[in-house]
Parts: sequence; C-alpha cells; structure tokens
Amino acid sequence: MKGYRNYFLNKLLWFLVTLVAAFILNFILPRLMPGDPVAAIVSRLAQGMSNTSGVQAIYEQYAEQFGTNKPMLEQFVLYMRNVFQGDFGFSFSQYPRTVADVISSSIWWTVGLQFPAIIIGWLIGNTLGALAAYRRGTFDKVLMPISIFVSNLPAFGMAVIMLVIFAVTLRWFPTSGGYGFDLIPNFSWKFIWSVFIHYQLPFWSIVLITIGGQAIGMRSMSIYELNADYVKYSRLLGIKDRKIVGYVFRNAMLPQITGLALSIGTMVGGALVAEIIFSYPGLGSTILTAVLGQDYPLISATTLIITLMVLLANFLLEIAYGFLDPRIKAAQAD
Amino acid sequence: MLEVRELTTKYITRFKEDIYAVDHVSLKIEEGRSLGIAGESGCGKSTLALSLMGYYFPPLHYTSGDIIIDGTNISGMKADDVRKSILGREIAYIPQAALNALNPTQKIIRFIEDVVKAHDPTVTKDEIYEMARGLFESLGLPAEVLQKYPVELSGGMKQRTVIAISVILRPQVLIADEPSSALDVTSQKMVIKMLRNLMDNGYVKAMIFITHELPLLYNVTDDIMVMYAGQIVEKAPAHEAVFDPLHPYSKGLMGSIIVPEEGLRDVKLAAIPGTPPNLKNPPKGCRFAARCKYVRPECRVQSIQLRELENGRSYRCVIGEDELRELYAREAE
Repeated sequence: MKGYRNYFLNKLLWFLVTLVAAFILNFILPRLMPGDPVAAIVSRLAQGMSNTSGVQAIYEQYAEQFGTNKPMLEQFVLYMRNVFQGDFGFSFSQYPRTVADVISSSIWWTVGLQFPAIIIGWLIGNTLGALAAYRRGTFDKVLMPISIFVSNLPAFGMAVIMLVIFAVTLRWFPTSGGYGFDLIPNFSWKFIWSVFIHYQLPFWSIVLITIGGQAIGMRSMSIYELNADYVKYSRLLGIKDRKIVGYVFRNAMLPQITGLALSIGTMVGGALVAEIIFSYPGLGSTILTAVLGQDYPLISATTLIITLMVLLANFLLEIAYGFLDPRIKAAQAD
Repeated sequence: MLEVRELTTKYITRFKEDIYAVDHVSLKIEEGRSLGIAGESGCGKSTLALSLMGYYFPPLHYTSGDIIIDGTNISGMKADDVRKSILGREIAYIPQAALNALNPTQKIIRFIEDVVKAHDPTVTKDEIYEMARGLFESLGLPAEVLQKYPVELSGGMKQRTVIAISVILRPQVLIADEPSSALDVTSQKMVIKMLRNLMDNGYVKAMIFITHELPLLYNVTDDIMVMYAGQIVEKAPAHEAVFDPLHPYSKGLMGSIIVPEEGLRDVKLAAIPGTPPNLKNPPKGCRFAARCKYVRPECRVQSIQLRELENGRSYRCVIGEDELRELYAREAE
C-alpha cells in the first residue's frame, strides 16, 4: 500500500501545483490586457459630463468597489477569497444576473453532454481498435482509414456535417438548442423527450470524433501486446483465446488511459465549439456570448471552471491508472 | 513416451511465402531420458519446440508428420482438444524469454488459476492455491511469490516461477526453450538445478532442452541432437556428440565452443565460415554444402538421407563414418 500512497501523494501534489498555476494565470491574464475596465465604465456613465472632479469622484467610487486601486497581491487574495465563496461578481452582459448564476444554469448541460460522450467514445474506440488488431483482415482495412479520417476532423467540423445531414436534409433531429424553444423546463415526459432528441446530434458528433483517435491508438497498442511473450506462453499452457484477449485488452488499455488524460483538455475545447454550432445551452455558448458582450467576469469564470474540470478529470484518471497498473506501485516503492 | 515422425511445419509470411523451419524431423524420447537440441540461431530449434506442442497459431502452420504421446497421435486432434487435454497436461513448455512470459498486470496466483481452470473449470480457488503452494514450496520457491506481480520478482525468480507454473498440471514431457540464456551465471545454475530436480523427483518424465550453449547440454542431457537449416544433422549420446561428432557441421559447432574438459585446453577455437541458407528456397542437395570443408560434387545433387548407425547414432552426410574421422584426424595435425 505504501507504493500507492506515494503515487497518490505525488499526483495530488502536482494537481495542487497546476491548480495554483491555473488560478494565477486566470487572475493575471485579464489584468495584463490593455485598457482599464473601470475607465471604460466611467466613460460610459460620464457621457456629457463636463465636471472633471465629478468624473474623478465616480471613477474613484468604482475603483474602490472593484478593488482596482489596491495592490496586485491584495487583489489576488481578494479574488481567491471570492472564488472560494463562489462569488464571481456580476455578469456585464446579462446584468443583474450574477456570474455564478449564469454558470450554474449552463454547466450541467456541458457536463451531461461532454463527459458521457467522451467516455462512450473512448470505450467504443478502444473496443474497435482492439478488434481490428485481433481480427485483422477486412475489418481492420475498412476501420483504419475511416478512423484516421474521422480523427483528423475537428469536433465542430463533424458537428456541421451531422447538422447538414441529419437536421437540415433528413430532418430527423432539431437543428439547435437543448430542448424545444416552446417548452418550459420541467419533469414532464414531453420535456424529457425533447431534451433527449436535442441531445443526440451534439452527443454523437463528439463520440464519433473521440472514437477515431482512440481506435488508432488502441489498435497499435493491441498489436504490440498480442506479440508479447506472455500471449504465446499463455496459449501454450492451454488458456482459452477469449481469456488471453482479456489480458491483452487490459494491458493495451493502460497507455490509452494516459492518452485520454493528455488529450482531455483538447477534447473539451473542441467539444465546446461543437456546442456553439448546435446552440447547446452549455458553457460553450456561454463563453461565446460572454466574448461577444465583452463580459470579462463571465469569461474569466467560465475559463476557470473549464480548467478546473479538466484538471480534476486528469487527476482522477491518473489515480485510476495507479490502481490498474501494478508496475506503478512497484516503481514508486523503490 | 514421446515419438515424433517426419514432422514438418512451416511459417507463412505476410507475402504468402512458405518457410519450412522444421523439415521431416523424427525423434523419440523414452521415459526418464532427456534430449538436448543444439544449433546456431535460426536453425529451427525454437520452431521445433513450438511444433512439438501440436498446437499451431499463425504464422506457424502444420504440414505433415505425427506426434505420438503415450500412444495417442495428437497431430490429428482438433485444436481445442489439444489445448484442453495436451497443452500443460501432457506436454508443457518453458519459453525462451521467460522474463516477459508473465502478464505484467496479473498476480502469479491469478494466472495459475487461469491455467488450471482452462483445463478443469470445476477446481475451486482454494484448491488451486493449496496445489500451487505445495508445488512452489517443494521446488524451493517461497509461497509469497504467489501473491506478487511479475515486476516484483527478480529475473532468476521469475524464470523459476515460470518453470513451476509450467509443471503445475504435472505434464509428462517438458520442453524448455533456452530457459537459462537470458540469466546471469548464478541464476542459470539455479534454473538448471531446478530442471534436474524436476526430472529426478518425477515431476516430469522426460525433458527436451533447447539451447545454443553446448557445454550446458553436455552437462544436463542424456542425448544431443544437432539441427541445421530445419533438419536434424546428427543424433548421438551427449558424450559422443561432443567428443566424437560425425557430421562436419557438428564438428564445426563443437570446435567453435569451449568445453572445459581436460585435454581440450590447447584446442584452438574455430568459427564456421559463411551463413546458413535461406529457408525460402533451400539448396537442392546437402544444406550445409556451401559452408562445408569436405564438400564433394555429389553433395549438391540430391537431398541427403540420415544414416542410421548400429549403435543408435545417426548423421546426415554422404561421407562414411570412418572416412570422416580420418578427415578430422588429418585436419587436427
């Protein structure tokens, strides 16, 4: 157990370090941008005012309210305290809604869409890749070019293709939104069905993109594992092929978990753009409106939330990896 | 015990070429005896080891011949029957690269459970554990090994664990393919001791030992068989194979190694010039002709048959037994 503890502590330490770095960047980057947000607000308020001391008074009042007149370090402490209290301030573009309110109404759409889609895409992709390596022949020859093609499409590209085929041409699914625009969110069957129907296109475009890349990686890992000495030895001891395929799948899957951890950031980024294509009411669309409305508090908070989610997913994957691969334990115990 | 008649197996490459790596090999091994197979790398000795199991998977394919174990011809059996009743039970195999022979993400005992259950699904886990613990302890391996992952074992320990797993179902014949080649000298010695122990205490009834290290064969096995380009070129009791080789290739092989015996101290080491023939299209006549010092025109005309001598030895050469010895004696001067 000592090995696992070391591994866990090591990963936890790195998680905290990246977390702090993420907070610092999230705080500093908007403040490095040229221009003074308070001055921008004041100039809007003070239009037509000729009294300089009056403008000055308004400016000082807002600077005091937003804390921009305090030293950077104090601002940072203030910012951290607010973040931990879930207070991200007011949204500029959707005033008087608070940022926390805007995010809490959109984040579950994104979590509900992206994590199942990435996990299912990962599972299907790995199964297909392992099958291609094991069966070879036609299955492999058909699957691989398709996978390579699909994996090189960005998620939003796939989203547009799906949209044109299934929503515009075939009219099987609605083109946009998270549920019918004429409905009010409630727990009626009509509403749930509407959510389900709207869910399909964004979901499958993310799944399809994920499948391609995972299948390619899993195929080569499985071919490598199938040629391993333990496969031959297990066969010659009379173990059934089905069982051996199980060994191979598990061992080939391990690097795929690391691969998923490494690419989850990019995946989420791509999937956010796919959300925009479908006008899905998740974080992707929220970021878009925030950027268009120059809503700095909202931009800052959404990027922070996404960073946190990716970091957390990464951390959980690495912990899972430690349990799945005994070599980790052995390496850490040294 | 184990009899092999005219066994031929081939590799089919990606380009659909046939490579006959084991070509009409016959051998017989009696209960309580051990047979060594020697030859340079690429001569087909590892392929022979695989072929003897009677269970073929690509790229290796069965072509012709019989493998008879305890009176049963397994060449005609269905693959799944061979898997279930022969592999591990009648014939067991110790792989060449034992260091990677165990699944890295599985505990030793879990693997043993899979092995036992593949042949008899009714055995319980507790029974398997008791069985494995008993075997490991009687072979001088600590029972804690069972609860470990392969990465937690040293190279020598891993090799001995693999040997113990191979004999868990008490097979009749054990085929060891270079079981000690990748180990340091101390671990080698322990592995050899363990293999001898298996024979002496009746865990296995016969053993085939494959290696390129002749001194090892001489010390471990009763008989030695020399292979060249997929064929047997000489078969003899261990002492005679080393000190009185008949086939020019065996002679060259023995001359190219050090056997730490008295009287051999001043013998110069000689290499055999050239490389083995390409088995995609082997030469028509004697396969060793291109590298042989004593080659004659008739060597290249047609394939050479094994000559059986009265004392049970055999070799594959056109030149007579006495004439060969005379040639070697003249060479030595």
